[in-house]
Amino acid sequence: MNTSMEGLLKFVNDDLLAQPGKQIGPDTPLFEDGGIDSLKILQLIAFLEVKCGRKIPDELIVMDRFRTVEVIAENFLNL
Amino acid sequence: MSAISIPNPQPLHSGFQATPEGLFSCAGPAAALLITLNEKLREAALRAGAEEHCFPTLISEQTLGRADYFQSFPQYASRVETQKRQGSYYLSPAVCYHCYALLADSQIEGEMALTCCGRCFRGDTVDSAHLWEFTMREIVFVGSASFVRAQRERWMEKVRAWAEHLYLDAELVPAEDPFFAAENRGKKLLQQLKQLKFELRARDGSGADMAIASFNLHENFFTQRFNISLRDHQPAFSGCVAFGLERWAMALLARQDAAEALARVEDLQ
Repeated sequence: MNTSMEGLLKFVNDDLLAQPGKQIGPDTPLFEDGGIDSLKILQLIAFLEVKCGRKIPDELIVMDRFRTVEVIAENFLNL
Repeated sequence: MSAISIPNPQPLHSGFQATPEGLFSCAGPAAALLITLNEKLREAALRAGAEEHCFPTLISEQTLGRADYFQSFPQYASRVETQKRQGSYYLSPAVCYHCYALLADSQIEGEMALTCCGRCFRGDTVDSAHLWEFTMREIVFVGSASFVRAQRERWMEKVRAWAEHLYLDAELVPAEDPFFAAENRGKKLLQQLKQLKFELRARDGSGADMAIASFNLHENFFTQRFNISLRDHQPAFSGCVAFGLERWAMALLARQDAAEALARVEDLQ
């Protein structure tokens, strides 16, 4: 696994979802169980903006680019 | 008995009239079109297993409050006042709120669909496409998240096919004004990302773009507020599809005459 994706997965598991005893994988759908709320989506976008060094326009925040950690990394972390 | 008249009627479409305040009336083939559209939607909903319900036009302040309606759309509500009745009531802004009140504080057995039709009232923008009073047919789904999403997809597919059959110049597009307020960027982005709302948009006779149907996922917004769960206290989800009948008629009559439109509507399956 690429280090950028590893870092993103760690952030999602440890900081964003922070579910004791439960870890998601790079291909786990992120938005099906309601774990990411309106605050957490902003935290995720802020994390990505810092990592990729640019602002992410609202129109790019769509399911095709955010379905899983793997998909997010492919789209925003320049793998 | 004095004759019924509408003050200052403005011609809108063939067979229709609307006052400047958005009170709508129709006659002849246009009225038959409205009634037949509703019946076709009702039949389709019943065929799909929905249970039919009739609700009052009035809705209690308590129900709207529990649905967070006054936080989401404070400017739309039309209050009813009378001296001889107790309680605080409004004219229903949507039919589906009655469904959540009906199911409130209960566990439901498996998945369910309800259909209902009623007069709805929204005191929003005043223009030819925003009526103050209109007729809404809804199908409401309650069950697991996957059930509700599958139902919405199925209805989107069906209604898109209907729109083609009816020669409507209509487009199904993601929308951003779901039932609950998008008061911050996070909520707006989450709604955009999850595609909680789609609208079928068409043009009226003046060329104005308007939503003639909406296809909504509420997630657990209403079920949480109305304490509705599945068996074994599993969380329930809800969604609805809603049709503004007058707007369907306006969009149809923008492209064909009432008799032709009626014939096409009668063919819908």
